Amino acid sequence: MSGELISVPIDVYRFDPSHDSAPRYQRYTLELPRHTPVLSALLKIRTDLDPSLSLRYSCRSSICGSCAMVINSKSRLACQTPVGPEVERHGRIVIDPMRNLPVLRDLVVEMAPFWGRYRKLEPHLIPDPNRPMPVDRENPMTPAEVERFKTTPRCIACGSCYSACPAVEHDPEFPGPMALAKLYRFVVDPRDGARQDRLVRIQAEGLWLCLRCHLCTESCPKEVEPSERIRDLKEMAIAVQGGTEHGSRHAVGFKDNIRERGILNELKLVRQTYNPLEALAQLPQGLKIARKKPETLHAPRKIEGQAEVEALYVALDDSKETP
Amino acid sequence: MQRHDVVVVGAGLAGQRAALAALQAGRDVAIVSKLHPLRSHSGAAQGGINAAVGKEDSVETHIYDTVKGSDYLGDQDAIEFFCKEAGPTVVEMEHFGTIFSRADDGSLARRPFGGAGFPRTIYAADRTGLALLQALWEHLGQENLTLYEEWDLTRIVVDEGRAQGIVAFDRRRGDLAQIAAKAVVIATGPAGRIYGRTTNAHSCTGDGVAAAYRAGAFLKDMEFVQFHPTALLESSILITEGARGEGGILKNAKGERFMSRYAPHVLDLASRDVVSRAIFTEVREGRGFPGDYVHLELMHLGRERIESRLQEICDFSRNFAGIDPVTEPIPVMPAQHYMMGGISTNARGETNIPGLFAAGEAACVSIHGANRLGGNSLLETLVFGKQAGIAAAAYAEGAPTPVLRADDLDRETTAVRAMGDRTEGEEPQHLRIEMQRTMDTLVGIYRNAAELKQALAQIVALKVRYEKVRVVDRAKTYNINLTDALETGHMLALAEVIVAGAIARTESRGAHARTDFPKRDDANWMKHTLAAYSPQGPRLSYGPVAYTRWEPKERVY
Repeated sequence: MSGELISVPIDVYRFDPSHDSAPRYQRYTLELPRHTPVLSALLKIRTDLDPSLSLRYSCRSSICGSCAMVINSKSRLACQTPVGPEVERHGRIVIDPMRNLPVLRDLVVEMAPFWGRYRKLEPHLIPDPNRPMPVDRENPMTPAEVERFKTTPRCIACGSCYSACPAVEHDPEFPGPMALAKLYRFVVDPRDGARQDRLVRIQAEGLWLCLRCHLCTESCPKEVEPSERIRDLKEMAIAVQGGTEHGSRHAVGFKDNIRERGILNELKLVRQTYNPLEALAQLPQGLKIARKKPETLHAPRKIEGQAEVEALYVALDDSKETP
Repeated sequence: MQRHDVVVVGAGLAGQRAALAALQAGRDVAIVSKLHPLRSHSGAAQGGINAAVGKEDSVETHIYDTVKGSDYLGDQDAIEFFCKEAGPTVVEMEHFGTIFSRADDGSLARRPFGGAGFPRTIYAADRTGLALLQALWEHLGQENLTLYEEWDLTRIVVDEGRAQGIVAFDRRRGDLAQIAAKAVVIATGPAGRIYGRTTNAHSCTGDGVAAAYRAGAFLKDMEFVQFHPTALLESSILITEGARGEGGILKNAKGERFMSRYAPHVLDLASRDVVSRAIFTEVREGRGFPGDYVHLELMHLGRERIESRLQEICDFSRNFAGIDPVTEPIPVMPAQHYMMGGISTNARGETNIPGLFAAGEAACVSIHGANRLGGNSLLETLVFGKQAGIAAAAYAEGAPTPVLRADDLDRETTAVRAMGDRTEGEEPQHLRIEMQRTMDTLVGIYRNAAELKQALAQIVALKVRYEKVRVVDRAKTYNINLTDALETGHMLALAEVIVAGAIARTESRGAHARTDFPKRDDANWMKHTLAAYSPQGPRLSYGPVAYTRWEPKERVY
């Protein structure tokens, strides 16, 4: 099964804050079978070439979540990434520590902010005081109810999504994809009594800061699909209390707005998203747009096929399953 | 210096459950762990957790299966307690929020497992350990727990005949520190990395077991090492017994379903020691595939069933072996998986040292005897973790204030620094690889006196070389080269105990199979091995096995 060896040039980020003034890359070249995981390559470096290379690792089978790092610009698990395709695509393997977290040394990062944003969402079952758990036996839960968790129980909290996320980078208020996927897991849990509170709270605490870039879903080694679960949380939050934040008011407004005339009424969308005072603050931006596209100042005429648009809305509302 | 009533070392299921019990008893509790709790090896457990909750099943049958599986070396009183606790334990974890797989009627789904008379293994797809670990950590997160994360245990301080605390290496700060404790609970899990071919994580190095041994605790039955029948070829990544529980079958290179020769009644679902020996024998007798392995076939189960119930297995096979189990057989060979032995405790987690407790794989009660049944180890972590936590909390309530001496720490710090100051000497990872090779080749599934003696000589020689171990990395923070050295020292101590016990036990029982003594010898060997530390090597003595109702019989599956 080993197959023939290929030459694998690996450039590893090295940094010891107590000694080095700046990080550097160190080149190691190994001869390895092409299916060798990057983690095995790094451990071989430690055994054969340089025991001073520091990293986190444990299970080597993508279940403990220790070895997330940035491999050729992508956040992922070293144990789950074979060297062959990387070398063939990029000519070499560049390894950096996870992004969005301070480097402690080499590939070891400070995880406290990651855990901190997660802990803020009260990630534990909050039983409903009006619905006590059955004595001496399990809560019943149908296979269909288990299905509603989707793939969130597979999350190993490796942090790949957190490292890949631009919203995490720019906004300390954003809980991060992993934390929100976990929140989803509690929101859909039939045993949890805090579903409403959780949804109301998260609307105000960062849910709408997600940019919908899907990088979290792309980087997840366990197919947890945080991006899709964040979308579900948004829908559920709106269903519970409507739009309360700019993000949700914009989303709800957008939907209602187009339904009216079959085309977006941009001026009205401003009023749907912002209160009058906030709208006033948008004035300079609005004027800039108006200068370039004066038609935005007038409400558009109802389009000819508005009836068809209305039919689409009705059909979509009917077919909708709440997650 | 930090002080706590109870210090738990290890943050897997046993450690967390112990901490929870001690917190609920009102003690000030800390967990010291080399990994973040969610990274613990408990999370790698796949197949499930046993509890006789089905209508057709009974606690009585669970007890019998466990006794029989142990090859009559398990303590029957402890096994009775263990099996009776199973139902409430699983229900508690469900109430904590564990997402288990469910049957159509909404009850907990169960699958058949090896050596069990009924389908009694409750599961969460094929990631049961992860599901339990998440739920317990989420639950524990609501308590006021102190966590020392990424600290490597180096020593348990025993003074005036009782445990007074620990010494551990704080990776981030790069220094040793003492933590005073009225009671210490060891829950450091497996020591599988003593072997090269193991399903265990890299961090499974038996730190707590070795520290307890050096501190004067008895180690029990260390020669009983479980080899899991189905580990992925090359990487030795675990392929759960649940794969056979779901209907997977083993085949040799001739296409024969060879288990019919070894376990005519239950075939692929015989006890693990039986299946591992069968695979090993097939390969040795030339019926394996080139490269020495057999096939685990799942294809006949169909894509839907494989991908829903064995999701992680699909990923592992595809990512780590380039095999799609939906369309191809999985190449497997046995690999080290579990240590039946460990720190000798009773069912309350008490050791022979006052103030020192142990639970989980690091401990040996013994409920597994000479061979553990699949699905019993997750249960063990929770049942006995809780008991150890309760006992430690009760002990701590009346214990005197611990006293740790500063000059002790200075001496140990000097010794650790010396490893980094050497300009000559061998690197720890090289010694580790030699140890693993010795254990893989000479202390495996089948053993004999000549090979075991050769192994002992090699391990003793490695211990001498370890005296001059050299840490190359000079950095202070996250010097995992130093962690390598500490771990290797722990593992060499335990390897010696395993081999010494195996040489002495001149019979075959459960996972300990001697080709020169192929029969079980109840007249002379129905007893527990107890190993005590001495500078010259382990001193072995023996203790009785507790019997209640089950007469030893020949094991047929």
